[in-house]
Amino acid sequence: MVEFQDVSVTYGNGVDALNNVSLKIKDGEFAFVVGPSGAGKSTLIKLILKEVSPTSGRVLVNGFSINKLKRRDIPKLRRTIGVVFQDFRLIPSMTVYDNVAFVLRVIDAPKKYIRSRVPYVISLVGLKDKVKCYPKELAGGEQQRVALARALVNDPALIIADEPTGNIDPELSFQIVQLLKDINSCGTTVLMVTHEQELVEHFGGRTIAIRDGQIAFDQVLPGADVEGRI
Amino acid sequence: MKPSSLKYLVGQGVRNIWTNRIMSFASFCVLLVSILLVGFTVLVTMNINRFVNGIENKNEVIIFLVDDVSDETIENMGNLLRNTQNVSSVVFYSKEEAFEDMKKNYENADELFGYFDESPLPDAYKIKVSDISEMKMTIATIEVQSAAMNAVYHIKSPDEFANLLTSLKSILTLITTAILVALSVVSMVIISNATKASVFARSREINIMKYVGATDTFIRVPFFVEGMLTGVVAGGIASVVTWFVYEKVIEILSQEMTLWNALGISEFIPYSSIWWKVSLSYIVIGGLFGAVGSSASTKKYLKV
Repeated sequence: MVEFQDVSVTYGNGVDALNNVSLKIKDGEFAFVVGPSGAGKSTLIKLILKEVSPTSGRVLVNGFSINKLKRRDIPKLRRTIGVVFQDFRLIPSMTVYDNVAFVLRVIDAPKKYIRSRVPYVISLVGLKDKVKCYPKELAGGEQQRVALARALVNDPALIIADEPTGNIDPELSFQIVQLLKDINSCGTTVLMVTHEQELVEHFGGRTIAIRDGQIAFDQVLPGADVEGRI
Repeated sequence: MKPSSLKYLVGQGVRNIWTNRIMSFASFCVLLVSILLVGFTVLVTMNINRFVNGIENKNEVIIFLVDDVSDETIENMGNLLRNTQNVSSVVFYSKEEAFEDMKKNYENADELFGYFDESPLPDAYKIKVSDISEMKMTIATIEVQSAAMNAVYHIKSPDEFANLLTSLKSILTLITTAILVALSVVSMVIISNATKASVFARSREINIMKYVGATDTFIRVPFFVEGMLTGVVAGGIASVVTWFVYEKVIEILSQEMTLWNALGISEFIPYSSIWWKVSLSYIVIGGLFGAVGSSASTKKYLKV
């Protein structure tokens, strides 16, 4: 669960990135966060990952109070979140397998578990044949799927996807969002930041629009592909 | 941290050396050159000190005794000298010995000194001091303590030589310390920059690791291992290079041994007597600087 209570963030240079934002994303929800560049979307994600702290207000993520979280406890918070970035952020010196396995090694997972879990998650994103490849040997869409597998492998309560389709072909974008939707249907909360209106309209669901550091819109939109949705 | 995780991280450190071979090689070269520079300076300093100490050991104070002094007083004087601080050796030099030695300096000694029934020279003690800068103080002590015996006729000491050597030693210490400090500082700056550059090349990797919940220790261990191994190898190779170069230099210098002997150097420090100290210091210093430099350079990128 993610909860923002009257959250404001003012950076050192005086820029007000967020202004009294209140927001609640319940467990198992899927939400799009949309808005123009500089609106405050990135700050929202930085707060969830405790990359920045709120200037005022309260942020709760998966049971952690971001305001009170000590530096040494940040890894504990981040282990409950899977993150997918626009630029994939895979470790170039590691194979697909090692990139995904790294998350489990970080949490001291048993070797046996790593050996069974990693190939399973890689097969879920359809990259069974690419386990030994290095990121540079993969296409953009494939790299993003590896990033998704990495975000998934630890079975996190929340997945944050920051413009996950920004660097890939439109057709593949739909596949990635569909993957995220499938993950969500298994109970994982998904928060996807995007500025691709087409995707939001196609999939529908809860959509939060941020403008000038404030929530301009927070509603459930009907999707084009899913019947019976609001 | 589980042993299996530690094993994984150490493995990563070893693997990273090869994966980032260009940066590893740069760090290795910087460490190697720094160790060699400081190492050779220390070796040259050690040889200079040995040379100065050699000269220092040649110092000799002669205490002439008054005529007709009893054997008991000579004995007491000897004991007094042996118990005086800073006196490293005491040798009795009898008047007969002195006379014989003097005669050796003259071809027509029998003709010149034939009419002497006995030695006209006084008995004496030859002493050496361990710290030449304290020589004046030592002589003053001897004078005071032996005053009651009325046995000392004259004390001959190389005062000017002592002063010269004392100032030479302090200048040398000052110069060598300054060079060593400067070299160490320069080496540390270069090493730090090399490791920073190496870590910077992987700052993005560190950043990613932080996002997936890796602790600072988890990220640092491979860097620590990588830096330590690079440093240890640099130290090892530096000791082989030092061994080879040092032996060669000594071999060349030893060809002019008569010149060195004239300067008071009987032999240079043989590498066989110091090789393990040199190698151990090189490896420990290399490993330490490599490990600390590498893991400390990650600090900046861990703040996300």
